[in-house]
Amino acid sequence: MNPPVEIGLTHYLSLGAVMFVCGAVCMATKRNAIGILMGVELVLNGANINFVAFAAFNPAFDIEGQVFALFVIVLAAAEAAVALAIVLNFYNNHMTVDVDTAEELKG
Amino acid sequence: MEHLQHHPGLLYVVATLLPLASFLILLLAGGLRAAVRPCRESNGTCGAIYGMLGGDTPRKTGAYIATVAIGLAFVCCLIGFIWHAKDTHHAHDAHAPAASAQGGHGVNKALHTEEHRWAGRMTWAAIGWTESDLQKPGSKLEIGYKIDNLSSIMFLMVTFIATLIHLFSIGYMADELQPITEDHHVHTEDGHLHRRGRFGRFFMYLSLFCFSMLNLILADNLFQVFVSWELVGICSYLLIGFYYERQSASNAANKAFITNRVGDAGFIIGLLIVWTYIGSLNFDDVFRQVRAPKDSHGRPVPLTGQVVRGEPKLTDEKMPGLEVTPGGYDVLLFRKAPPPGSHYHPPEIEEVLPVDASPEWYEKNPEEHQYSTMPYWLLVVAGLGIFLGCVGKSAQFPLQVWLPDAMEGPTPVSALIHAATMVAAGVYLVGRIYPLLTWDSRLVIAYTGAITLFVAATVAIVMTDIKKVLAYSTVSQLGYMMLALGVGGWAAGLFHLLTHAFFKALLFLGSGSVIYGCHHEQEMPKMGGLFKKMPITAITMLIGVLTIAGTPLFSGWYSKDAVIAHTFGFAYVHPRHGILFLLPLITAGITTFYMFRMWFLTFTGKPRDHHVHEHAHESPRLMTIPLILLAICSVGVAWGWPVWDAEASALEAHVHHAQHHAVVADFGAMLNDTALPAGKNEDTERYWSQKLHGSAGMLALLAAGLGFVFAFLTYKSNVLDPADAKAQFPAVHRFLHHKWYFDEAYSVLLVRPALAVAGWCSAFDARVIDGFVNRFASFSVWIANGYGKFDNGIVDGLVNVIGNTTYRTGTWLRHVQTGYLRSYVLFLVLALIGLYVLLSYFVSLASLG
Repeated sequence: MNPPVEIGLTHYLSLGAVMFVCGAVCMATKRNAIGILMGVELVLNGANINFVAFAAFNPAFDIEGQVFALFVIVLAAAEAAVALAIVLNFYNNHMTVDVDTAEELKG
Repeated sequence: MEHLQHHPGLLYVVATLLPLASFLILLLAGGLRAAVRPCRESNGTCGAIYGMLGGDTPRKTGAYIATVAIGLAFVCCLIGFIWHAKDTHHAHDAHAPAASAQGGHGVNKALHTEEHRWAGRMTWAAIGWTESDLQKPGSKLEIGYKIDNLSSIMFLMVTFIATLIHLFSIGYMADELQPITEDHHVHTEDGHLHRRGRFGRFFMYLSLFCFSMLNLILADNLFQVFVSWELVGICSYLLIGFYYERQSASNAANKAFITNRVGDAGFIIGLLIVWTYIGSLNFDDVFRQVRAPKDSHGRPVPLTGQVVRGEPKLTDEKMPGLEVTPGGYDVLLFRKAPPPGSHYHPPEIEEVLPVDASPEWYEKNPEEHQYSTMPYWLLVVAGLGIFLGCVGKSAQFPLQVWLPDAMEGPTPVSALIHAATMVAAGVYLVGRIYPLLTWDSRLVIAYTGAITLFVAATVAIVMTDIKKVLAYSTVSQLGYMMLALGVGGWAAGLFHLLTHAFFKALLFLGSGSVIYGCHHEQEMPKMGGLFKKMPITAITMLIGVLTIAGTPLFSGWYSKDAVIAHTFGFAYVHPRHGILFLLPLITAGITTFYMFRMWFLTFTGKPRDHHVHEHAHESPRLMTIPLILLAICSVGVAWGWPVWDAEASALEAHVHHAQHHAVVADFGAMLNDTALPAGKNEDTERYWSQKLHGSAGMLALLAAGLGFVFAFLTYKSNVLDPADAKAQFPAVHRFLHHKWYFDEAYSVLLVRPALAVAGWCSAFDARVIDGFVNRFASFSVWIANGYGKFDNGIVDGLVNVIGNTTYRTGTWLRHVQTGYLRSYVLFLVLALIGLYVLLSYFVSLASLG
């Protein structure tokens, strides 16, 4: 039995990277506006894990990392509110949430 | 009304403005009628107005308005005349005792209030901003009125004659009352010309003329005179050309107008010289500066009233000055009037007076009389320039050619404008500006008058058109007036102007009556024996003829005797100028001859043209009454007491009161005879003209008697045959018949050269100037074409290339903007990966380095 692996910074960063890539792929592939919104949340939270991890492992960023994470959470909340409002309006106008149908401004 | 009591001179202003009002009413009515004419067929307001204004038929209302206006003006002048006579009488009464008691201050006061009552002026246009600017000479143009004995009597004469002529015209112009008038003198393809009658227009012009003429007499400054001068000129032009469809009438109008322009050019030159050097156009201001004043006690002194001449010389204080010498180069101008109570004494001969000194000098020496100078020759030019205007207006030699042609106008116009009033305006103005005229200028005036009176009288002998005879007679009589003014007979000249106005208006209206009675026949060879047909006209005309001939007790006798006496006195003192006496004396005989010739040819003998004679008739009462009134005036207007004394004329005495003291200073003893050595009086023209009055009168009467005898023998008793005389001296007759070849000479000397020069100018214009302009234009077009190509090809091409490139780039880049979110995310990710690769490449490079 292998000795238990100590959980280090690399693990957290890997988790953040995986979440970020998942979010980006989600944004790139989903046609559903809600799905894209969820992708954005994943991207943001992937970044959050990085902030928190660096705060925990680097004393120089002790406070800054946490504060930035809190900022991002607040930002994500505000962004979700705005985005959902847009989506709702979009739905009202198009009776769908498929973002590919939003092409009225195409030149 | 009380205001009028304090300023009775305003009566004359009212009299002047009345005809203007009538003119404006007629102008408005005529303009309105023309405006509503297009809708004359309609029944609306327009048509009603058209009907009210007379419709197609001219109305008589206009004539009544004009006649009432001028009649009221006459009444105003009559009241003004009486008041003015009363005022001057008082002033002269106050004069004598006050002068002896207080050394003249009382006179000044009396005269001052009198002037205030009869004069007024206001600034019409000013140049400058501050009060002190306006004090400078030449900074403002004024208008004003001033009534003296001369203008009051002129007003009376003009309004009286004008009223009568208005009345006469109502009858004479009756042809113009028809909706369609036939003009027998104008031939068109289908017979004579037919046009609408122009009754109202005639009276409108007459009203405008009356206003202008009265304004001319009213004026107290040369500027206002000049404006009126041009206004009467335009009225004359309009009325000569009243039948403008006739080629001869429109030519005559143009001739009159253009000839007068020559004179007016001189007038303007004179005005500008006066304005430049004296700085005012007001008569009194100008005369006060040109003529030496009285001394500080108001007494005349040796140089008083004279033009003081001198040579430039430095004064003791080394200031520019003028040494007073007779016949010097400069003329002294008296800038400031000597203040009352100051110690002004007249400049002595050889005294050096400071001139053109700085203002500071005068501030330090306020008591000093301020002088400046102007060159003497410029003063002469100014006087002669204004006189040239009078030469044009009064038809004097060499500008007399227009007046006989002006007889193309209707006869009442000839009587009013071209005999009684407007042509006399020239004489009047010479009388007005008299103190401005120096000795040399007056000699020119005298010779001009003498030549004119002789030339015109000789031409009148051979004229056959009744109006032409009268026209030449007018020119001749105007020559008499000018001559009288030139030789110092100021009152005599203006006196003759007044009597002439009456008898010449009478003669012209008489001729008008004859022409009317003979159905517009003007040639005397076709008349004859008309006495029985039109007795009133014949008798009144006979009175006119007797008056102009100078028959004793008729008004012409008094005035003509006065004129000839003055020329006699002048010639006696200056024997070199003896011709100035001989010419008028001979012409007095010629005048009688041609006037009686006219009367005998028209009214006596056998009828020469039975057609004319049978249809001849006496004119209606509206026309004969003015004739009778004018005949009465012609006889009695100059009477005084005793009637048989040629020097006792009340009219002359009245005019004499208005005489400026400059006349006396130049031609006679001083105002106060004691101011000159007693013996010197006998050298003066005035002294001798009074002394020789009787003999001059006898000589003139003798000449006139001879003239009458010749006329009687030739045209009445047929002892002498005019045809025989014509055959004996064909050259003389031809010479006179062509009016001394003046028209031909002007045609050769002036008109043709002018036309030739005009032709050259037009050719130069068409070839050289137009050619240059055309070349220049085509060159410009050529350049413009080249530039257009450059602009279209290169400048526009460059701009288009830039625009197109930008457009294409934009179109190409547009494809990147797909609108799909995933492609944007893809680009984002790809860009991120790209950045990462680049960064790590550079970082590795940096770590390697």
